[in-house]
Amino acid sequence: MDLKDSLGIAAAGMRAQGTRLRVIAENIANANSTGETPNDLPYRRQVVSFRSVFDQALGAQTVEVDRIGRDPGNFSRRYEPHHPSADDAGYVLYPNVNTLIEMTDMREAQRSYEANLNVLEASRSMLTRTIELLRR
Amino acid sequence: MDLDSFALFRIISRNLDWTAERQGLLAQNIANADTPGYRPRDIEPFAEHLRDAERARIPLQRHHELHLSGQGGAGAGTPGSSAVSDTYEVSPTGNEVILEQQMISMAETTMQHQLATSLFRKHIGMLQTALGRSGR
Repeated sequence: MDLKDSLGIAAAGMRAQGTRLRVIAENIANANSTGETPNDLPYRRQVVSFRSVFDQALGAQTVEVDRIGRDPGNFSRRYEPHHPSADDAGYVLYPNVNTLIEMTDMREAQRSYEANLNVLEASRSMLTRTIELLRR
Repeated sequence: MDLDSFALFRIISRNLDWTAERQGLLAQNIANADTPGYRPRDIEPFAEHLRDAERARIPLQRHHELHLSGQGGAGAGTPGSSAVSDTYEVSPTGNEVILEQQMISMAETTMQHQLATSLFRKHIGMLQTALGRSGR
C-alpha cells in the first residue's frame, strides 16, 4: 500500500458518508409527506447500512453502502379531520421520521466525513513532502 | 551510486515505506469508522519491522548460482499488520474504531514521515558538502 492508495480509501469513505447524508436529507425533506388519499401510506424512513469490502485494485478494505433499507417502525397518527388524506375517523398517518434523530445522525455523518477529509489532507501533504525531496 | 548502500538511506527508505503502509491502514480504519462489526488494524512497530527486514538481508548460502538468493528488492517485505486489541470502546454495532485514537496515530505517522524526509534532505546535504558543493 502506498500513499496514493490512502487517498482512494479516504475517498471511498467520503463517498459512503455522502450517500448517508443524502438519505438523511431525503428523510428530513419528507418528514411531513403524508399519503395522497385516505388509504395511502405516508413516507417511510430510509436507513443506510455500510459494509466493508476488499478493493482488489487498492489491496485494502474500503467501505461502501451495503443497502438503503426502510425503517419498519410505526407511523404516527394525528387527529386532523380537515386533512385531504384523513380517514373516516379523522386521523392522518404521518411518516416515522424523527427530525431529532435525523439531526443527530447528520452530525455523526458530518464528523465521519471530516475524519476522512483529514486523512486525505494528511496523506496529500505527506505525498507532496515526498515529491519535494526532488527539489533542491 | 546506490544510496541504499548507506545504512542511513536504507533505514530512511524503509521508514518511508512503513509510514505509507501505516497511513493506508489508518485510512482503512477511518473509512470504516461506521461499518458494523469492523475491527481496526494497526501496523507492527517500526523497530520490529526494521529488525526483520535487516535480518532478511543476510544472504542464503548458495551452492549454485541458479539457486535463489533469498533477497528481494530494496523494499522487500511489507510490514505485518494485526487487529488492534486495546480498544476501549465498542459501539452497539460491534464497531471498534475510535476516531480520536486513529487521529492521534495519524498525527504520529505524519510526524514520522516529516522526520524521515527531513533526515533524507539533511543527509543529501551532507553528501554534497563532502563532495565540495556546499558553497553554491
